[in-house]
Amino acid sequence: MANLETEILDDIIVKSRRKMLALSGTALAGLVLARATPAQAASYTDADILNFALNLEYLEANFYYLSAFGCTIDAPNSAAIAAGAPSGGIPINAAGSVGTPGTVSGGSKVPFTTIPVASYANETAIEEGKHVLFLQSALGSAAVAQPAINLGTAWETLAAAAKIPGGSSFSPYVNDQTFLVGAYVFEDVGVTAYHGAASLLTSSGNLSAAAGILSVEAYHAGLIRTTITALDPTNSGIGSYTDLISTLRATLSLAASPTTLTGAAANPYDSNPDDYGLATFTTPSGLGDGASATATRIVDADPVNAIAFARTTTQVLNIVTGGGAIKNNAIVSPATGVFFPNGLNAGPNGFK
Amino acid sequence: MDNKLNSIIDKALSRRTFLAGAGSVAAATVVAGCGGSNTVPYVPPTPVQFTDADILNFALNLEYLEAQFYLYAATGSGLSAADTGGSGGGYTEGTVTLGNAAQVPDLTSQQQDIINEIAYEEQEHVRFLRKALGSAAVPMPDIDLSFFGPLAAAAGVSGGTAFNPFSTFNYFLVGAFIFEDVGVTAYQGAAPLISAAGVASGYLTAAAGILAVEAYHAAYIRTAITAGAIASTANVPYLTAANQVAALRAMLTVGNSGAPGTSTQNTGAPDSSQSVETPLALPTSLTSLSSIVACDPVHALAFARDVNQVHHVVYGSPTVGVAKGGFFPNGTNSIFATTTA
Repeated sequence: MANLETEILDDIIVKSRRKMLALSGTALAGLVLARATPAQAASYTDADILNFALNLEYLEANFYYLSAFGCTIDAPNSAAIAAGAPSGGIPINAAGSVGTPGTVSGGSKVPFTTIPVASYANETAIEEGKHVLFLQSALGSAAVAQPAINLGTAWETLAAAAKIPGGSSFSPYVNDQTFLVGAYVFEDVGVTAYHGAASLLTSSGNLSAAAGILSVEAYHAGLIRTTITALDPTNSGIGSYTDLISTLRATLSLAASPTTLTGAAANPYDSNPDDYGLATFTTPSGLGDGASATATRIVDADPVNAIAFARTTTQVLNIVTGGGAIKNNAIVSPATGVFFPNGLNAGPNGFK
Repeated sequence: MDNKLNSIIDKALSRRTFLAGAGSVAAATVVAGCGGSNTVPYVPPTPVQFTDADILNFALNLEYLEAQFYLYAATGSGLSAADTGGSGGGYTEGTVTLGNAAQVPDLTSQQQDIINEIAYEEQEHVRFLRKALGSAAVPMPDIDLSFFGPLAAAAGVSGGTAFNPFSTFNYFLVGAFIFEDVGVTAYQGAAPLISAAGVASGYLTAAAGILAVEAYHAAYIRTAITAGAIASTANVPYLTAANQVAALRAMLTVGNSGAPGTSTQNTGAPDSSQSVETPLALPTSLTSLSSIVACDPVHALAFARDVNQVHHVVYGSPTVGVAKGGFFPNGTNSIFATTTA
């Protein structure tokens, strides 16, 4: 039958992809684009990549559940259930799962006052929860348990590092605007993580799924960036915080880039800087035959080709641990810090 | 490259031929021919052996369309002649039928900056794909920007054929809504078709990066329409119009359910049980959910459309075998120009 045949051939394609990645040169020489250079060791599997993503989804889902409903994903309250959360909760330690389940510290319901921001929080919480469930389901018994997550004091550390005014006491749970700043911290990072992982996945089914989550993360990021731009059109309040956060992310990412660590050429979408806040910019080239124009920065992308950035797992780890993945220009594993005080949960060859 | 690997890649390519030529016709044949498939092997009606360049050229056609729309809305002019020519695939360069195309009037500076941003990014996608394809890049096909009116009328949008996305910022948002989610689903459907060599050479990463940018754009449009409708009942008709467009797109996505928001799964393949559209919600309280993301309601994964389904939408025709129409009055400059399913 076609489906079975397709599956088998998918598997063949996949294996050939890995082989092609290992091949050098001549067959690829005629192609226009520079060859992507995966920085990771070759012993990982699709499950390791999906588990890396699952750790990030645990983080995001808990942030949005706490902000929108005031509960964690495993213990939904009536507000969460009314919005569509599974009534039994999302498991954080599914049967046979890998690693020690951790708890979530900090976080509380945001006293939203505007319908747009509240409804966006509700929507995003439910969607991120579904990503956790989807990845757990795709991974089965290989799924990692939820790691320990800090959604309280981590914000103060991160905001201070970003030099946000009053950052050492920053909380995203104060009001609609602080919530948007908190959400801003995550969403573009999710995009770059899935983008970086896409070409590493070997099963085309997993690739389709990852591309589907990539899109959703980009929708979320676009939503957050659009809303902040609308609320702060002069980029003088929370808009200016996005520039500080993006600068911090770019710095942490650069410290962990293949170029910095080994001198190896990075993929074409791993540039410096690899993150832009919401300050308007002047287009590097003109519009049509016209002159360059001032433009908003709803899209976080390379300004020349307008292609979203991609990051390696080490770069993403260095961001979400606030610099815990790199010490003295060398990779530290497991990386710990900020949102992940005990690091990520991962299998033997996984990313942590 | 050793022989074994060649053989593996040949097999992979033959699968890609199957996917391109078959679609629902293949599915029907497989179902009907279950008992006798050993003696009557399935043969696609119009075998299409496609390459990575064909996939990128398919995307380039869509980018030409988007770039022209946004550039006219931003500046009153379109792509530079330097970005539309070429002879890749033996095609000849087309022209743009303008219709009402013009710079959108009475914009605030922020609205102008936003249209500038999207126009610029779509232009850069055209340039990027043309550069990546080199001499294989197809030239711009004929594009008809007067199709917005007929499409709006077909969707049941109030005002019908008089619908003009260049008349006000709100109408511009509805016009943009016609394209953006389609771009996301097109890249989503195309990315897994890229060959192993294409993955290794960076095509997949490039496509995934453009996919993300299209999703950022789509989120902007959906957020702006939603926020406008929440802020003022006077803006609700634009949200209604967008949802009428979404319903039409769902109907045109042959092989999928006509009802937006009813998906039960996402397999990346046509499935009659799922829709590929999520209508916009109008949140009315602090406990409401918005519907900014277009994704399946079970797993929250974005939808995919195959090359035929994308062509049905941009041609405005669900008829199989159609080679042109709608925004592309003489078809796309693509080997997928004629719908086969």
